[in-house]
Amino acid sequence: MTNEDSAPARSLDGTIWPQVDRALSGITASAERAVLDVIVSIPRDEVVRGLKALKADEALAFDYLRCLTCVDNEEEGIDVVYHLYSTKHHHNLTVKAHLAPDDLFVDTATTVWRGANWYEREAAEMFGVRFRGHPDPRTLLMPEDMTDTFPLRKDHPLAEIEVLQGEGIAWGVEE
Amino acid sequence: MTNAVQSDHDFEVQDIMINMGPQHPATHGVFRMVLAVDGEIVRDVIPHIGYMHRGGEKLSETMDFRQGIGFMDRTEYLAQFNAELSYVMAVEALMDIQVPERAQWIRMILCELNRLSSHFMFTGAFGTDSGVFGTAFTYAFRWREEIMDLFEEITGDRLMYAYFRPGGLAWEVTDNFAQRVKYVLDQCRQGIKDVDNLITNNEVFKARTQNVGIISAEDAIDWGTTGPVLRGSGVPFDVRRDEPYLFYDQVDFDVPVGQVGDVYDRWCVRIEEMRQSVRIVEQCMAKLQPGPIMPERMPRMLRTPPGEVYIRTEAPRGEYGIYMVSKGGNRPHRLKIRSACFTNLQALKDMSVGNYVADAVLILGSLDIVLGETDR
Repeated sequence: MTNEDSAPARSLDGTIWPQVDRALSGITASAERAVLDVIVSIPRDEVVRGLKALKADEALAFDYLRCLTCVDNEEEGIDVVYHLYSTKHHHNLTVKAHLAPDDLFVDTATTVWRGANWYEREAAEMFGVRFRGHPDPRTLLMPEDMTDTFPLRKDHPLAEIEVLQGEGIAWGVEE
Repeated sequence: MTNAVQSDHDFEVQDIMINMGPQHPATHGVFRMVLAVDGEIVRDVIPHIGYMHRGGEKLSETMDFRQGIGFMDRTEYLAQFNAELSYVMAVEALMDIQVPERAQWIRMILCELNRLSSHFMFTGAFGTDSGVFGTAFTYAFRWREEIMDLFEEITGDRLMYAYFRPGGLAWEVTDNFAQRVKYVLDQCRQGIKDVDNLITNNEVFKARTQNVGIISAEDAIDWGTTGPVLRGSGVPFDVRRDEPYLFYDQVDFDVPVGQVGDVYDRWCVRIEEMRQSVRIVEQCMAKLQPGPIMPERMPRMLRTPPGEVYIRTEAPRGEYGIYMVSKGGNRPHRLKIRSACFTNLQALKDMSVGNYVADAVLILGSLDIVLGETDR
């Protein structure tokens, strides 16, 4: 997602971006500054390697995964968003990996933080993103057999679930 | 439904799977876990959540920024002000709204009182979990009721307050606010003392909770646990102190941490947090000045510029985060609620394996889960 329409782009001066750039040596990453944190975009195939490097780096030490989720940008594909925090140095970073709409998979981050487990299960069932190598790829909040529809995608209408459950309560269908 | 386990017997033994929940008085809502037990020892825990999933994130995408506040109450229904706070702060950050000082102080007072009422709820429920059946519950609810009465006077509602607005507050607090807060604080001080005397140093309680359900600091960080669970393991991470929001940088308070990371430490951390909350509210009341509670100019329909923000605040159960993505317009493009209980429950297996079945209820109780927040 770009910030082209909003106020002039914020400067990266004084942020942790130089350290992040150094830690991510060999990985093509780009950065922008959001309202609070720096957002680093890493290509899909390298994102887990990048996250491991960010966690291992002494000066950064991103040992705490605050949040992991996806954002559906419709025809532009889906972004996987990682919110990282360092309990040692008290700084934050947002990492994004972009997935093309016809190619929705990314390597699992459970190898970096075990806490990514449920977040990835939730993102998988809600967005249809496959987390390759996930140790427990069951549904989490949804029923076990509901694996063919992805509620948080933008093309999924609010009433679709009632439609799927049977005609008797299909009040969401427009004749 | 059984798994063979290794054993030194010459006969074959099997783990027995015990189902607990979703309808179970000790699961604090509709939580279900399947325990694999070998005799009295828990060998595996499989948590199942989602029984209360209401599609809150999807619903929030269809509601504008003022309607969305009401839904936040329904996610975290024991710390409603804290949940609302994250949401309105996210809107304010995206729109770059400056909140008047008085509104910020009142928000702080209400959030800390809400932390007290939520922790009173915990002490009552946990007393029940640990076998002090009626007494702890009635004691705790008596004090919680005082706080609820105050909230009802201010907001007109006992549970779903919807009192914060992007920019400030819905309306001014009642005229006798200062007196009422003072009265409630006196009651709370007495309440904390009572609960403390009743339970904290009780030999039976100590014997049941000490060295039970231990999670190390490294594991707690790795699992992403938060709030009193993380601090109980000795990690001094509190969003209020480490990334101050509102005016938390202008008040003095301590961040209590545990040493062992067991159930007893998590209990003690919460009791101490209640004392600190009383301290914070006292300081806030001293600094509260008359003034406006909303900015002078607010648009009738809130529209955010494109952008995204991840707002984190310290709710009673830990970090309550709102990740809001806006593409312009009057409603969020994507709203992710980062729930404290969600991550704490992930670590349940690590805490429970190797403990007795009877302690599984205690360990679950010490996480202080709210299923509305977990499932959203």
